[in-house]
Amino acid sequence: MSDNRLTFKKRLHILKHRYRGKKMAPAFNAFHTFLFSPDETTHSGSHIRGADDLKRTMNTVIMALVPVLLFSMFNTGYQHYAAIDAANGVARELSLWGNFFTWENLWIGITQVLPLVIVSYGVGLIIEFIFAVIKGHEVEEGYLVTGMLVPLIVPVDTPLWMLAVAVAFGVIIGKEVFGGTGMNILNPALTIRAFLFFAYPTWMSGDKVWVHEAVERAGGPDAISGETILGYLAQNKVDEYSYTISDMFFGFIPGSVGETSTFLILLGGLFLIFSKIASWRIMLSAVIGSLVMGLIFNGVVDAGWITETSNFYGLMSFEFWKHLIVGGLAFGIVYMATDPVTGSQTNRGKWFYGFLIGFLSVMIRVFNPAYPEGVFLAILLMNVFAPTIDHYVIRGNVARRMKRLKNATIFPKDSDSKEEELKVETV
Amino acid sequence: MLEHIELFFKSIFIDNMVFAVFLGMCSYLAVSKKVATAVGLGAAVIFVLAVTVPLNWLLDQYLLRDGALVWLGPEYADYNLSFLSFILFIATIATMVQLVEIVVEKFSPSLYNSLGIFLPLIAVNCAILGGSLFMQSREIATLGLAVNYGISSGIGWFLAILAIAAIREKIRYSNVPPPLRGLGITFIITGLMGIGFQSFGGMLTGGDDGAAPVEETTAQKTEKEEKEIKEEIDEKEISYNDAVKEYK
Repeated sequence: MSDNRLTFKKRLHILKHRYRGKKMAPAFNAFHTFLFSPDETTHSGSHIRGADDLKRTMNTVIMALVPVLLFSMFNTGYQHYAAIDAANGVARELSLWGNFFTWENLWIGITQVLPLVIVSYGVGLIIEFIFAVIKGHEVEEGYLVTGMLVPLIVPVDTPLWMLAVAVAFGVIIGKEVFGGTGMNILNPALTIRAFLFFAYPTWMSGDKVWVHEAVERAGGPDAISGETILGYLAQNKVDEYSYTISDMFFGFIPGSVGETSTFLILLGGLFLIFSKIASWRIMLSAVIGSLVMGLIFNGVVDAGWITETSNFYGLMSFEFWKHLIVGGLAFGIVYMATDPVTGSQTNRGKWFYGFLIGFLSVMIRVFNPAYPEGVFLAILLMNVFAPTIDHYVIRGNVARRMKRLKNATIFPKDSDSKEEELKVETV
Repeated sequence: MLEHIELFFKSIFIDNMVFAVFLGMCSYLAVSKKVATAVGLGAAVIFVLAVTVPLNWLLDQYLLRDGALVWLGPEYADYNLSFLSFILFIATIATMVQLVEIVVEKFSPSLYNSLGIFLPLIAVNCAILGGSLFMQSREIATLGLAVNYGISSGIGWFLAILAIAAIREKIRYSNVPPPLRGLGITFIITGLMGIGFQSFGGMLTGGDDGAAPVEETTAQKTEKEEKEIKEEIDEKEISYNDAVKEYK
């Protein structure tokens, strides 16, 4: 490359210097650091050099999400054509290369899923940039993961303006008012999902929203159905769905865009654990929590305490381990519950936090007829209580160490130390 | 036994005093800066609710409700003193709060000082009076259930103030925009916490309704409306005709 031609990077660099100290500085800075790796070094103070800054962390999570996103594009198309076939009475055998990874499936995915991703990133990043410029701090990378998660947890036919409104709400009320990335108390992606759920319930639940075009065709001669497995179970139609266990595990089922493939989510989860981005404690304890709750419900059914006519029978009799491979439980556990900002931050706290997420998710699924899927609400609820859990874990730690201090022989037990202790307790 | 469990769960999570009916907000917002203080006030609220709700239940059962005085003699069966509910309930509550105040001042002066004016203000905490009035309007059947209701709705309020106090301690060093600092951000947090508590909305209660009623299509609706309007017109015509006849 000749020296007298300015490269894009160089131009950005010059622009950045020209605007240094001005209002627009964060915007140029963000582009520069996002697109290139700047060779600037800090000049003042002492620093710890770490390889995993915020950007690296976020990018790792996105890498774990890309397979899920790609799969979901194909699955969107596949479910669409499968539902049409089912409506026309044509039998359809799943064959991976024959009718799953095909161009027509991908085309549906590109026209339906990609706009969701673009709108989510566009709206969210514009708001982030505006806030960064107003507040005069650097643009934070926090939205990169949220923007990817949002399109994966909404139904495929969500209108784009709805998504834009929800993203604006989630980013402003859920995050920016608390001071931006790292300060929020609820997971922004789940806040967006919850906003959509409560503001536009007809587009977020029911049996028509999960498959592309099912809403438009409803009531017509070419109506197609898009009921999820949990939807069938909630209506006690235990035997009416025809999905095998491997369908559920590999994700060839209707559902929110990215939640279906437990297999790819599992791979992503392992990747996150081995790169030490996400907490294995939270994932493990959440899995245990959901299994325990599922076992309790199965026990209730086995003991004959409820009859087949009960409203809860369908979901209660569902084998406990299958809860993990249908619906959004796996996705929520791997990508949402492990959010380091809103989750519990102490190691002991993470066990409680994760366990309760799994426990409550399955409980809401079964007991709450209003929501056949309760994972996102369970995680939000535990986000609310995570600071409380942390507080008591830390207090417990302090108390234990105080006891150790009291028993230690180095410090004589005099009246001074007792007073000191009293002060700590009352603070 | 089952109804006890159901009521307990329901009044903690589903009909949560703060997030479902927005009662007791003043002390919830004002005394939630520190977890220790919040725990103290929450415990006081649980205690006061646990005592006043059953007391007021007895008052309601044997003094206030329609025909409650029948135990004095059959001639009292017609008396209905329920218009006195507010005064008597508040009197019970104020007495109990005074008692709590004396006890707390004696045994935990530090808590007494940090609670400050909000301890006597429990007397006018809407969650407390709300507990008694809900007990009356929801017609809680037995004294045991009333005790249960008092304790569990107190626990619900306690959980709410505990959670928000921990959150406010956590965000103490957050860079909140200046206009929102203090109460503003607290209200926003409360709203977001309300979303979290929505997990339980409709639980237990919705299950008994069975399938949702089939929605009428718009065509059916308009047909129905037209029919109603027609009937109305017919009725009017009839009455008009009657009036004319009478006039004649």
